[in-house]
Amino acid sequence: MAMKKFINDPDHLVNELLAGFVLANANKVALTGNNLVVRAQPKPANKVAVVTLGGSGHEPALSGFVGEGMLDISVPGEIFAAPGPPRVFEALKLANRDAGALLVVLNHEGDVMTAGIAMEMAEKEGLNVKQVLTHEDISAPSRQDPRDRRGLVGCFPVIKVAGAAAEQGRPLDECLAIAERMERNMATLAVAVSGATHPSTGSVIAEVPEADMIVGMGQHGEAGGGQQPLKSADETAAIMIDALCEDLGAKAGDRLLVMINGVGSTTLMEQYLVLNGVKKALDAKGIGLARAIAGEFLTVQEMGGFQMFAAKMDDELLALWDAPCNTPALVVK
Amino acid sequence: MVTCERWVAMVRAAAGQVRASQELLSNLDSHGGDGDHGTTMVRAMNCIEQAVAQDRSSSMPDLLRAIGWAVMGVDGGATGPLFGTFFMSMSDAASGDAALDARGLAAAFAAGLAGVQKRTRARVGDKTMLDALVPAVEAAQAAADCGGSVEDVLRSAFEAARAGAEGTSALQARFGRAKNIGEKSIGQPDAGATSVSLLFKGFLEGVTSHA
Repeated sequence: MAMKKFINDPDHLVNELLAGFVLANANKVALTGNNLVVRAQPKPANKVAVVTLGGSGHEPALSGFVGEGMLDISVPGEIFAAPGPPRVFEALKLANRDAGALLVVLNHEGDVMTAGIAMEMAEKEGLNVKQVLTHEDISAPSRQDPRDRRGLVGCFPVIKVAGAAAEQGRPLDECLAIAERMERNMATLAVAVSGATHPSTGSVIAEVPEADMIVGMGQHGEAGGGQQPLKSADETAAIMIDALCEDLGAKAGDRLLVMINGVGSTTLMEQYLVLNGVKKALDAKGIGLARAIAGEFLTVQEMGGFQMFAAKMDDELLALWDAPCNTPALVVK
Repeated sequence: MVTCERWVAMVRAAAGQVRASQELLSNLDSHGGDGDHGTTMVRAMNCIEQAVAQDRSSSMPDLLRAIGWAVMGVDGGATGPLFGTFFMSMSDAASGDAALDARGLAAAFAAGLAGVQKRTRARVGDKTMLDALVPAVEAAQAAADCGGSVEDVLRSAFEAARAGAEGTSALQARFGRAKNIGEKSIGQPDAGATSVSLLFKGFLEGVTSHA
């Protein structure tokens, strides 16, 4: 199938998408240095900075989380490919302050390597930086070796709560502890109904047979098993929330934050149907749906499907989730 | 001896090899990957050529460090950190040398490999760049230990890298994104291993043309 996308020269794709992104969000974000996305109005330097890195092509992630209450700097890479260490180091130097900085890293081979090298350089330079790794995709075998678990849309709630803590002026150790507590208590499972094309190479990312869905598909269409005939919204919601609750050890009385993250061509209508199905399934288990959100936060081009995210929340995490933010991807007043 | 001047000729030849195979590398990567390995490697080679054009240093460690840093700067997932680390770690081993003899070159390659192995959990047999890099470095050391010349070292390394890369055809990917396509990964060589083979092919070509 020929690729049908509005693009120009693939070599300029990332530059052009960032330019448009900043035009569309001029009151919130700006570009500086070597394509670092920063806040239009910087946060006071006495507060912890929150920084992330990751491939492009997943808009609004990750640069869409830059703004008041969430990120200070995002380092966007090439399409589906992490930036190199020099630009991440540049971001860490830019973020450097007495209060310190928190680097949020999604568990993907390139991202982890880049972050590791940048962190080594930051240490040599004497910068005060801590790192949190998100790896919450439960399609990988077990929690025993979390290195095999990919980082999916869970980076967004981690950035949200850590960013809110930083905005409140909490010290770096507390921001890190909050990010890690969110990370430990969250899980994501993805489902795909149709594939996508890589916008610069035209390569097909994931193919899904006409009448099927694949449960457990990663950010770039990596298969995680679970191919089966397409089911209804309620049935799919039940299959997925059951798996997430089992992984989280969620039981009656627990309070969950659930997010339905559309990855491209699945409509908001379908996302709402699925969320409604999740509520029914949780009600049956006596598990509370403390907060819910649906929409496109981390996409994979025109892929069809969604990522279902669930997390066990406590009072503090809920308060941080509810705290105000003003970013291209999320506004909380 | 491999002087800075000679090393520049070697990396330029390697860049030429990668450029000539850009489409092949991307096609290999489209089986289970994003199909962007060729583009990423060519961008890395462009960065190397810019770095050597600007670098006026007369010491091998500085030159290798400049090359490694340039490759690190490529926004291409794991490719930049891995290949960048290879050259940066070679630099650490070459410290103090104005030029490398056959043994020094083999030792620098071994240090480069050790650096790469610290960055990744992939091992020989996983269908990655290591399936070409590990045998290439072992062959380089064996040739140097037998008293071979710089050219002998590079010829042995290239032949082992080529055999290693070709051998990945029969392997099922156990690492990286391609592992997700399981048995479908069998039948074509790994793109990263093929890149390693092309680099060593270029090193050999560069050293013989710049004797």
